[in-house]
Amino acid sequence: MVSVLIDQNDRFLDILERLSSKSVEDYYNPYKLFEWPDRLPENMWWMSPELTTTYGTAAAERLTQEQLYALSRYESINFYSLNVHGIRELLIEVTKRIHTSGFETPSEFFHHFIGEENEHMWFFAEFCLRYGKKIYRQPAGASVEIPRSDVESLLVFARILIFEELVDHFNSKMALDTRLHETIRAINRIHHQDESRHIAFGRELVSALFAEVKKNSTEQELADVSAYIKRYMTYSFESLFNPQVYRDAGVEKPQELRRELLQAPARAKFEQSVFRKTTKFLQKAGII
Amino acid sequence: MASAGIEEIRSWILSRHPERDDVAPDENLIESRLVDSLSFVELVYAIEGASGVEIDFDNIDIRDFQTLSSIEKAFFAAV
Repeated sequence: MVSVLIDQNDRFLDILERLSSKSVEDYYNPYKLFEWPDRLPENMWWMSPELTTTYGTAAAERLTQEQLYALSRYESINFYSLNVHGIRELLIEVTKRIHTSGFETPSEFFHHFIGEENEHMWFFAEFCLRYGKKIYRQPAGASVEIPRSDVESLLVFARILIFEELVDHFNSKMALDTRLHETIRAINRIHHQDESRHIAFGRELVSALFAEVKKNSTEQELADVSAYIKRYMTYSFESLFNPQVYRDAGVEKPQELRRELLQAPARAKFEQSVFRKTTKFLQKAGII
Repeated sequence: MASAGIEEIRSWILSRHPERDDVAPDENLIESRLVDSLSFVELVYAIEGASGVEIDFDNIDIRDFQTLSSIEKAFFAAV
C-alpha cells in the first residue's frame, strides 16, 4: 500500500530519489570519524543547560553549580540511552517492512535508513558505555493493541517521526553549543546531519499515510489517532525526566523531584519548544 | 485491609481515568486498558514513588503489574 501511495506521488518519488543519493554522497565511516578521549572533564556542561529538565525551575535554584553539572552529565547519558532504545524500536519496525509486499518503492531508501540508524545506535551506545559506564534501561511495556494495518503503519511512522524530531531539537542546539566538549558537539552534529534526511522522508510518508487513512476512517477513528499521537508526544517528552538520573546525581527523593519538575510552570514552555516544529507539521497535516 | 501504598496506586489510576469510580483488586489493568504501553512506565514510577522500592527494569515480571492485588503482593506486602 505504501508503494502505491508513493508511486502515484511524483513529488514523493523525487524526494525519495534525492534522499537516497544524498545518503550515498554523504556516506562516512562512523567507526573512524569520532575522537573518543578516555575521559571527558566533569566540571562542565555535558548538555546545554537550557535543555536539562531542571532549567528555569525552583529545583535548579536549590542545586549547586557542581550538582547542575553532574545532572547535565547523567541527563546526557539518559538522552543518548533514549536514542539507543528509540533506534532499536524503529529498526525493528522498518526491518519488518523492508522488501515486503507494499513497501517495494521505499526499500532502497530503507537500506540507507537502517544502515545509518544502526551506526547512530553504535555511537550513542559507545558514548553511554564509555563515559557513563551504562545505558539507562527502559522497562518492557505492556502489550499494545494492534489497530487496522493501515492505521498501524501510520502510527508506527508517526512515532518514528516524533522521536526523530524530539531528538533533532536537542542535536541541532547541542551541535552549536560552544560550552560543550567537542566530542559531544560532534555526535550531535553528525546525527543532526543524517536525521534531516530521515525527517524529510518521515514527514512525506506520514502525510501520505494519513491522507489514505482519512479516506477510510470515521470521525471517531480519526479522533482516536489524534489522541494517541498526542499521548505519544507526552510520553516521549516525559521520558526525558528519568528518576534514575536524579538518583545517580545524588537527589534523595528522585520520584518527588520528577513529579515536581513535571508539574513546574517551566514544563509547558520546554515541551512547546521541543515540539514546536513537530506540532506545526502535525496540525498542518490535520493529524492532531 | 489495603495498604496506604496500594491506595495511592488506585488513586493514580483513577486520576487518569475520570470515567471510572473504582478499580477492583483483581481487575486486569492491562486487558481493561487502564494501563497501556504508553502509561506502563508511569505505573512503574508511581509504584516506586509510593513504595520507596527501586524496581529493576531488567527483571520486570509483567504478572506483578497486572492487578492491584498482584502489585500489592509484589511491592507493598512488607509495608
